[in-house]
Amino acid sequence: MSVSEPHAAVAALLKPGAHGATGGQPVRLAVRDVDIVQLLARKGRAEDAAAAIKAAYGFDLPSPGRSAGGDALAALWVQPDGWFLIAPRGAEGALARAVKAAVGDAGSVIDQTHGRSVITLSGARATWVLAKECRVDLHPAAFGPGRVASTQIAHLACTIHQRDAAPTYDLIVFTTFAKSFMESLTHAAEETGYVVS
Amino acid sequence: MIRIDCPWCGMRDEAEFTYRGDATVTRPGANAPEEAFHDFVYARQNPRGWHVEWWYHSSGCRQFLKVVRHTMTHEVRTVARATETPEVPSE
Repeated sequence: MSVSEPHAAVAALLKPGAHGATGGQPVRLAVRDVDIVQLLARKGRAEDAAAAIKAAYGFDLPSPGRSAGGDALAALWVQPDGWFLIAPRGAEGALARAVKAAVGDAGSVIDQTHGRSVITLSGARATWVLAKECRVDLHPAAFGPGRVASTQIAHLACTIHQRDAAPTYDLIVFTTFAKSFMESLTHAAEETGYVVS
Repeated sequence: MIRIDCPWCGMRDEAEFTYRGDATVTRPGANAPEEAFHDFVYARQNPRGWHVEWWYHSSGCRQFLKVVRHTMTHEVRTVARATETPEVPSE
């Protein structure tokens, strides 16, 4: 796995290979090498910020509990008038500068690339593993592709983003807590087995 | 376990929230007499029945919510945004 700073230290917590139970349907674990930017619309400027993002990137900022965009640039709702913007890792600070240039004084932009890490959990039994860890209803009737929820996992703040129906989940956690988070997640995944590639 | 239907996030367990106290009292103005602050801080009601409370969704959307909760049964009747005035049942 080739992961750049600052996510290499988190990726190093996962050892390549198969772990845990064998013979079932193992889940897959990986660390995504991404830039993460937080966008907060300034007071009364949410519509201006949304219009600016639409003009620059071609999609509407998502409503509560949802995501928008795609793998090139995804927007996740995290709080009223607040979103995460996530893109593949590029030049240091480039995404934050581009988003700030797009929204101008309609929003505040904070680069969270070093502060947050994104751990991907996928596979047919990923929901089963994640359900052991969190209190959010992940049943397809209540959750699904394009849905986002901020909650606690192992007493740590975590934002869950379901990216597709495989299912694939992005788990966004504070980098400084990523080691404890990973210990809990890999422990939960031992029951199905997990593969790190 | 109390379950709170957050207007932003949907139904969540109380473990995601932080209790922030009585939402029916108003902080006195900066120039109010000392007695007013004494009453604001210490002279609180302890109702048996429906009560409006602040709950902070600390592990979710980080918004302050007004929750109408029954202090005997823990039933949650209404969850409102901070700017709203939820209706309190008569009994």
